[in-house]
Amino acid sequence: MVEAKFPNNIRNYGDCKVKTIKVNHLARVEGDGGITVEFDGNELTKVNIDIFEGPRLIEALAIGKTAHEMNSITPRICAICTVSHKNASIRACERALSIEEPEKTYYSRNLMHLGEIIESHSLHVFALALPDFLGYPNVIEMVDKHKDVVIQALNLKKFGNRIMQIFNGKFIHGENAVAGGFGKFPSNEELHEIKEEAENLFEFTVAATDIVGGLEIPDYLEKETVFGCCNTADNQYIFWGDEIIFSDGTIIPSEEYKENLIERVVPHSYAKRSLYKGKPFSVTALARLNNIGEKLTGKAGEYFRKYKNERWTKNPFYNNLAQSIETIYCIEKIPELVEKLLGMEDIEMQKPQRTEGRGVGLVEAPRGLLVHDYTFKDEKITDCNIITPTAYNLDDLEKYIGIAAKNLNDNGEETDSIRFELEKIARSYDPCISCATHLVNVIKK
Amino acid sequence: MSNKPTLGIFGFTGCAGCQLALLNCEDQLIDLFEAADIKVFYEAMSNNDDGAEVDIALVEGSINTDKQKEELFHIRKKAKTLVAFGSCASYGCVQAMAYGDGKWEERFRKVYGDVEFAVGKAFEAQPIHKFVKVDATIPGCSPATHQMLTAITKLLNGNLPVYTNAPVCLECKLHENECLLNKGILCLGPLTQGGCTAPCISHNTPCVGCWGIIEEANHSAEIELLIENGYKIEDIIRKFRIFGGSKISEQYTKLWRL
Repeated sequence: MVEAKFPNNIRNYGDCKVKTIKVNHLARVEGDGGITVEFDGNELTKVNIDIFEGPRLIEALAIGKTAHEMNSITPRICAICTVSHKNASIRACERALSIEEPEKTYYSRNLMHLGEIIESHSLHVFALALPDFLGYPNVIEMVDKHKDVVIQALNLKKFGNRIMQIFNGKFIHGENAVAGGFGKFPSNEELHEIKEEAENLFEFTVAATDIVGGLEIPDYLEKETVFGCCNTADNQYIFWGDEIIFSDGTIIPSEEYKENLIERVVPHSYAKRSLYKGKPFSVTALARLNNIGEKLTGKAGEYFRKYKNERWTKNPFYNNLAQSIETIYCIEKIPELVEKLLGMEDIEMQKPQRTEGRGVGLVEAPRGLLVHDYTFKDEKITDCNIITPTAYNLDDLEKYIGIAAKNLNDNGEETDSIRFELEKIARSYDPCISCATHLVNVIKK
Repeated sequence: MSNKPTLGIFGFTGCAGCQLALLNCEDQLIDLFEAADIKVFYEAMSNNDDGAEVDIALVEGSINTDKQKEELFHIRKKAKTLVAFGSCASYGCVQAMAYGDGKWEERFRKVYGDVEFAVGKAFEAQPIHKFVKVDATIPGCSPATHQMLTAITKLLNGNLPVYTNAPVCLECKLHENECLLNKGILCLGPLTQGGCTAPCISHNTPCVGCWGIIEEANHSAEIELLIENGYKIEDIIRKFRIFGGSKISEQYTKLWRL
């Protein structure tokens, strides 16, 4: 439920005609969710993003675990955000226990994170979202007519995976990166391999962004929203920070996220919801570009300026293009990071300077702001709160689903076509339902 | 009519990493769609046929709502061969790390308060064999490309996958890694089903046990060794449990009052 004008508890079955549009199982998204929209006559009476994925209670299970155990457990919240959870977990642990982050470790984590952004964005933009716009049920059926794009997009995705494998030990849920550093740093051969492949993929990444930039973006759902993302230091465009910046200009320190993003439980979802100043907000790649996109330089900066327009702040479909532009950024950034790492000696694992404290780790997952908030006592977790981007986005998504359903219905669209459009909107957020169900704020009694 | 074997890929509670592991076979993905007639794969396609009978059902994730339980029964009825795909489906994985301790409801209330949910009543995460007959497994968190593709190829050809009953240590030795246990580090390699090719130990980080406990694992011997090295029993047991799921709780509760 989003705003008072969509009350879901008022149901008049009298003479009114109740029409329900249901997407039972969202396809081409990660996890098990659905959409329910109900009309009473022409009045929209219900908009629910239903989350069927069961609760795993990761925050409650975290109690009593060590920092390294947390670095191993929390990535299992979500496979497609495994490195984001890893980096958020590491940042929370290192802030709580005062562990240093030497340059080599910092740049390695940065590069590992770019691997995940590339993998996740290329999977979402080309394999999950693009079929919607070109009229296919899945990416494989695009092969006949768009073979080059599909093969190259898969190569891009594979490259992202290869980076994660090199830095984290496995494509999914590697154990090499932990609070304190890396078990083993990549060899120079591996670093050269990464650099070369990034250079090879540059041309395709730019051309592919033009394909996404050329797609016609529907306008039946446009409305301004609020965007939030990590605020980055100086002029850097980077996927983490210690502050959150909102599109209304407000900046809050990471430790104050709870007071500013108020959470609640809704009966139709095991994922909790959050509002900013009482309103839904977005934390997508589009949020990043809207808030800090001006910091982009090079080809990514050029493409940001080429495509940015006034519809970006009111239409979530632009998230696909935003992800594509970020992929250019990653591909451009990699050779630069490799050059830095090539000259650096391997370093020892850093040790904690204390045994207790609280640390908040903010990271930009491919699909938006991710928060890990840990409190340690005697080197073990006593309190843990994790909020994922999809959980933050759910209210905003419901808002847009509501607007779209109302407008499409008023235009006399058929139920099937409305259903397809609603699913397409949900996909544009790149939702990660596994992520959204690990539930969050432990309620203190 | 296609004479290709039919395949359904289904996901329940977990990180969706097993389905992602399939999508991560970038070089083989087109071949897979060629070799099998894929009826259900929600994570990858929107033309799914839920009602279809399938030769092979790959079931990812553990079961922890009554809605999921009903869906699993439905899949079992429609599938000739049902495969537990990955650690969550096989033994519960991380969400089952406190399996059977009797405190699940307390944890649930701690996280959600007293809300009544309309999306299926939740219960403690269970591996799928608690509800239906499982014909085969593909181990891993998440499955390794080579092992998973070999298993799927066998399944598509009408055979069941077989695995070497050897712990992670065997593959670790093949990589000529120095033994972490010998260095006094708590590594679960000797107790864990191999097949992952020991990537973690090859990166100087200990095995966490994410392929699940191997048959005939000698937990007592490892406990003795670790205690000699100065580890406390509660720390050792906690590590065993993180990825031990239902298996460790059932096999060893009696032995050590876990």
